[in-house]
Amino acid sequence: MASDKATLPARRSLEHKQVALQSALHVLASGTELDRADTPDEVVTAVRRLPAVEAAYAPFPAGIDPRLRAAFEARGVQQLYTHQAEAFDLVTQGRHVVVTTPTASGKTLCYNLPVLDRILKNPATRALYLFPTKALAQDQMAELHELVGAISKVAGDENEIGVHTYDGDTPQDARRTIRTKAHIVLSNPDMVHSGILPHHPRWAKLFENLQFIIIDELHAYRGVFGSHLANVLRRLQRICRHYGSNPQFICSSATIANPSELAAGLAERPFSLVSKSGAPRGEKFFVFVNPPVVNRELGIRKSYVAESRRVAGEFLRRNLQVIVFAQSRTTTEILTTYLKEDFEDVPGMPERIRGYRGGYLPLRRREIEKGLRAGEVRGVVSTNALELGIDIGALDVCVMAGYPGTIASTWQRAGRAGRRTGQSAAVMVSSSAPIDQFVVRHPSYFFDASPEHALVNPDNLHILVDHVKCAAFELPFTTEETYGQVNVQEVLGVLQESGLVHRSGHEDEAGQWHWTSESYPANAVSLRSISSDNFVITDHTSGAKVIGETDFTSALSTLHPKAIYMVEGKIFQVEELDFVGRKAHVKEVDCDYYTTAITYTKVTILGRFAADSPSVALHGEVHVVSRVVGFKKIKFHTNENVGSGELDLPEQQMHTTSYWLEIPLAMMNMLPYATDDRRDGVVGLAFAMKQVAQLLLMCDARDVGLSVNAGETDGDDTPRIFIYDAYPGGIGFSAPLWGMQRELLSKASALIAGCDCETGCPTCVGPVGETGPLAKTVALRLLEHLLTGAAELPPPAISSPEDLVPF
Amino acid sequence: MSTLDRLRGIVQGTKPSAVPIATSSQPDIASAASTLGGSVRERAEGGVIVVDREYRADDLHGCCRIGDIIETLNEERDALAAIARAWPTKALSSPLLFLDLETTGLFTGAGTQAFLVGCAVIDGDAICVRQFLMPGFEHERAVLAELAAFAARHGALVTYNGKTFDVPLIETRFLFHRLPFPLAETPHLDMLHPARRLWRGRPATAGPDPDESSCSLSVLEKHLAGLHRVGDVPGFEIPSRYFQFVRDGDARPLEAVLEHNRLDLVSLAAVMARALTLVSRGPLESSNPHECLGLARLYERAGSHDNAEGALLRCIDLAKRIGSEPDVHADALRRLAWIRRRAGRVHEAAEAWRELAILPRCAGSLRREAKEALAIYHEHRSRDLGEARSLVLDVLKDDLEGNRKAAAEHRLQRLDRKLAVREQGGLVAALDDTLGSGLT
Repeated sequence: MASDKATLPARRSLEHKQVALQSALHVLASGTELDRADTPDEVVTAVRRLPAVEAAYAPFPAGIDPRLRAAFEARGVQQLYTHQAEAFDLVTQGRHVVVTTPTASGKTLCYNLPVLDRILKNPATRALYLFPTKALAQDQMAELHELVGAISKVAGDENEIGVHTYDGDTPQDARRTIRTKAHIVLSNPDMVHSGILPHHPRWAKLFENLQFIIIDELHAYRGVFGSHLANVLRRLQRICRHYGSNPQFICSSATIANPSELAAGLAERPFSLVSKSGAPRGEKFFVFVNPPVVNRELGIRKSYVAESRRVAGEFLRRNLQVIVFAQSRTTTEILTTYLKEDFEDVPGMPERIRGYRGGYLPLRRREIEKGLRAGEVRGVVSTNALELGIDIGALDVCVMAGYPGTIASTWQRAGRAGRRTGQSAAVMVSSSAPIDQFVVRHPSYFFDASPEHALVNPDNLHILVDHVKCAAFELPFTTEETYGQVNVQEVLGVLQESGLVHRSGHEDEAGQWHWTSESYPANAVSLRSISSDNFVITDHTSGAKVIGETDFTSALSTLHPKAIYMVEGKIFQVEELDFVGRKAHVKEVDCDYYTTAITYTKVTILGRFAADSPSVALHGEVHVVSRVVGFKKIKFHTNENVGSGELDLPEQQMHTTSYWLEIPLAMMNMLPYATDDRRDGVVGLAFAMKQVAQLLLMCDARDVGLSVNAGETDGDDTPRIFIYDAYPGGIGFSAPLWGMQRELLSKASALIAGCDCETGCPTCVGPVGETGPLAKTVALRLLEHLLTGAAELPPPAISSPEDLVPF
Repeated sequence: MSTLDRLRGIVQGTKPSAVPIATSSQPDIASAASTLGGSVRERAEGGVIVVDREYRADDLHGCCRIGDIIETLNEERDALAAIARAWPTKALSSPLLFLDLETTGLFTGAGTQAFLVGCAVIDGDAICVRQFLMPGFEHERAVLAELAAFAARHGALVTYNGKTFDVPLIETRFLFHRLPFPLAETPHLDMLHPARRLWRGRPATAGPDPDESSCSLSVLEKHLAGLHRVGDVPGFEIPSRYFQFVRDGDARPLEAVLEHNRLDLVSLAAVMARALTLVSRGPLESSNPHECLGLARLYERAGSHDNAEGALLRCIDLAKRIGSEPDVHADALRRLAWIRRRAGRVHEAAEAWRELAILPRCAGSLRREAKEALAIYHEHRSRDLGEARSLVLDVLKDDLEGNRKAAAEHRLQRLDRKLAVREQGGLVAALDDTLGSGLT
């Protein structure tokens, strides 16, 4: 929409703001230009200026319904931005469309426009909108209601378009009406999975007339969640075929490297991409801050929280509206408290600085959002809860306390600051985590490279089998039917062996597979994890009460006996782990340390996907056996190791996919170091590679596992570094990692070489004391060889695939 | 590891198969029908096994004569109308169709099917049960078509929990096949609701089994009809028996399921007959204070306040004699007071409140409500301001919450003012009376 009008007082306040912003930036980056070459070794490592962009307009498409056009014109909108018109045209041509223009570019209109147009032309039309969270659906409903109200004024109330959210909070008595009357249903994948698809006969009217499926915030669906969504969409499209509809997809996404590929992976349809924004953008300054080193030997820097507080204070003091993104709920609360303290002397100011995170009551959240839009709230400290499209208006400054983890999400957060005219700023304050350090010291990785790939693996057998069960419940499979890339008939055959389905009809004729279990399969499948098997944590301090839950995979390493478990600042110790009953009993304690588990992992190669490649890296299927054998006690603040304990816990097994790097023995033997030092070098390299892999894969630390065979003897074992998918069946990380191997190694090299420490620290090759004194040096030598001489070496002899290594 | 082995690991790892699954030949529909004593009806949509049974007038269902049940159902039209008023439905036109489904699960989603549709109707002096059994999943349309044709010949549905379960489920099946739902406009009486009113939580009949105080049909048939089932198939076993039949074609295990369904249908008729008898003959028919209280509440819902009052009086009388039902007794007195109050019979209402106020072992909140109501009565009706004042003081002795406390204190102040005026006597008092008489 293009209705910005700069009136005189507004312009004056604009100029005022620019002066304030410039002044704050000059204090932060004293004496430097506001666009200059990067300086990786200084506190302010980068100051970049992103120039203003003029708006590019397009007229309303000729085919648009005149009532819709009139409604916009009545609101002062005479033309569209080019990307909105482009999306409209592509949709009209029947294409599936994915839009990746920046935050606040009027992206939602790219789908609202064609959807409302179609509904006005044919009131039977139905559209289903999917948002990753309920809050986003609520927010969108408010916006749609305004639009629909404007249309009713022009077109008359008899053309009222029904827009409703449908989620777990929808009252029972409203549901029946929504099923038949709502033109637009705003929901989330979880609700479609367990609340809509299993009841599709009651939604017949929607499915018969479903012309659009809208997926907002597409980039949120990667990894496990994305793989689940892809299967929910398979089921959804199966049901649509049953009712004779063939809906079109319109998706919107933050900027990622592969939006069309992700959309195609999720919906299994070809997509057209709209990526060139026509929306104007004001000038923006982007600053990277690396807190100063306070202990060079240990590589310890000033706290990034304190540094973020200082930075945010500079802007708030100049009456600029600021959003601060923190990495956790705890940090959010701490920073909110700090900033309120800093402005204690300014009457009324502490109340105008607010915290915002999941766990706040909806009413309080709405109040803060409103305060932000109205400008009454001057500063907000938030978790990623405000990263997605909740409407809070456009602020002046975004401060990120810690690197958000991915390029895509950093741009998304930075986009929270900046209007269509005038200046804005984004400041990223890095923590001492390896990824943060890499990014802050290599600004061009962020500014000049492509953002991450979002990956999904809809054919992960564990996920797929669960959804085949749900699909069989919803509609019997025919004996000719296909589903995904696997042989679904084989899957159904195995389900029949367990009595879950039954094939009707004679064996030599076409038949159907019917669900034959009284259970309701969707109840047993959670879209947000791979297995719904979890551990419940019960506090026995005074009576028994459940205080949390943990997924099965991480239970043993976080809930072993004597483990310290933390929730909202309270510290608990695990008294007993009931493995069979899937329960951990904890009691509140007062102590000054936390625990980390020591896990031994053994990886066995089952099959190689690229065995004939001449290169040294490989990927394939592996069997991972891991066992928690003990734990360390780490003191808060100083991170000293203050004790340890042994544990006797059952081992966990997993069949998954892995990328691995083989270091040829010839190369190892060339290194002029002792055996122990060589081994330290491999372990250090592995540590750095895992950090970089996370960066490249756009994933959480928990999503990938690491295992090293560091060649314990001079024997014939080839050292291998495994970076495996930490989910049974694999989630699709290993093949891309194999493809990005060169980048992986060169970035690992840059990370280690660029680190300030002398002999290794948690930022590069791992903390001192866990790696030897030469780890950093040897790792760099290895990388040198791998990056230069790798191709010339003979392919490695495939040795015994069994490696047992402590890590 | 082959994909097949991995699949087995995934599927069986999450839910090990309890019994080895034998999938033999397709069920032979004709032999299944003969095992179950039924016949096969072939339609274009598929086959249906139809099983007919007759319960004759002199047959016994527990200790109830089928003939008596039929007579009650046929004759107590007024009672039926009263129940229909209490749980509004379209006029319950005869002939009644008793409906009960056996399903492949309890969750009413797209994958839960009704494999057995049991229907019972009164035909002359017999209850005729007709059951439609689906010989395989692919025959569902045929079962639905049979049900639609059968239902078209009958007037109203009677079910037990059918509003929540059976009817939505069967509606989903029609929707699934994108067929019009033939029962959409059919009047429907769900006997669960009146049964709950009449019989929920009757400690007099409750046994050690905690389930005994529930209002499930199996509990009611025991207490109301004296039926004790032998070799009944437990409900949770029913879906797996059907799945087994679909897999191996052996219909013998289904015989018990069909019998279970038939007994449910006849019990439903018996329970309904008992409810009609109670409603029609009134509280003297019962010697259980719970039942009388339930009956009163049913009359209230149906708008028969005179009958409700009679049932409450009977309930109070029985409770007094038994002496072990303080909650029922108190509830009945309270309801009695309100019925009388609404009818404008304030003095009689006060009598009930007075009785409640002195009832031993009565819940504190009820006693307070009674005293407050009496205080109002004495202030505005009997003009016994002294008595009203002492009642309010009494109420204030309890630990009251904000609003109630404020109201009581306000009342006390007003009473004190009025008493002061009254002591002065004369014109002012008279004036105050006329002003106050409008208030309650």
